[in-house]
Amino acid sequence: MTARVAFAAASVLAFAAAAAGASGQTYPQATSAPRSTDARALAAAAREREIHERFARGVMDEERADWSAAAAEFRRVIVLDPPEPRGSTARYDLALAEIHLGHHDAAATLLEEALHRDPGFAAAAANLVSLHLQRGNLAAARAVADRFVAIAPDAALALYGRGLAALRAGDLATARADFRKLTGADPAYAVAHYDLALVEMQAGRDDVARAELERALALSPGYARASFALGTVLLRNGRKADARVAFDRCARDAEDPALRALAIDLRDRL
Amino acid sequence: MRNFRRGAIALVLALGACAGAAVGAELLLGDPSGGLVPSAVPSLLGPITEAGRTGWSCAPERAATAKSAAAAGLPRN
Repeated sequence: MTARVAFAAASVLAFAAAAAGASGQTYPQATSAPRSTDARALAAAAREREIHERFARGVMDEERADWSAAAAEFRRVIVLDPPEPRGSTARYDLALAEIHLGHHDAAATLLEEALHRDPGFAAAAANLVSLHLQRGNLAAARAVADRFVAIAPDAALALYGRGLAALRAGDLATARADFRKLTGADPAYAVAHYDLALVEMQAGRDDVARAELERALALSPGYARASFALGTVLLRNGRKADARVAFDRCARDAEDPALRALAIDLRDRL
Repeated sequence: MRNFRRGAIALVLALGACAGAAVGAELLLGDPSGGLVPSAVPSLLGPITEAGRTGWSCAPERAATAKSAAAAGLPRN
């Protein structure tokens, strides 16, 4: 009797093990059979399938930085003219590839088209602002940054982009307002305090600038550009000994060799 | 004149450490704020799948609308 029970238990275990192995194998689902023999319906299904496949391949190409291959996939998707959201998304993705291929004018046009098709497309606005800033086209950057802020008024990227464009263009009022709003929403972001300090320095409000730089350095002690800026504020106000300390700190923390060399030279001249 | 001076300082900074730090320091001692540059341009946001920008899985759109600098992927310095 005991032997029978043991044999039965062993059989059950062996079967379970075999079944577990079999369940580990997966097979792709069979492609569903066409439900139409109509030529137009079949062509539409083929077109839909091509858009799907090219999107998947294009995104994979971009993730591994194969920009030429990605551009070819998304150009074909655009020719196939899918409806929203794929029309604007394909233009966004193609713009990303074109930027990396150095085709900046084409990329800007594609991002404008994406925003025309989908006016609330924040990521397209963000990349268009960055593209214009990289190219030094401040007027275009500011125009798109205004649209980006209208899409997402509290977005950190929108405020940062518009503030940066305004600061570079010398519009201190807009830059101050955007960086203040950014520091209010995210007080721990040291870079916004640094940019706000540059605004205040250009406005001649050195005390406010110094306070912002001290905040930036309290948040990010190794922030070499903030140390350099603090040194310049102190130097401008005749505090040579304190400026020397700030330049020395910059010289120790700077990774940029040009900034480090400049800080060392200024320190040694004080 | 002021624009020329700023241009000269920017050129010195661009030339780097070996070429002209001493000249740069000379210029900056007169007008130190000329050597300051704003922070970096934000990085480009990444690709978006055919599902589009709506939905939680679209990381670029989430970054573009995030309220904190870290979630937005803004430059760290």
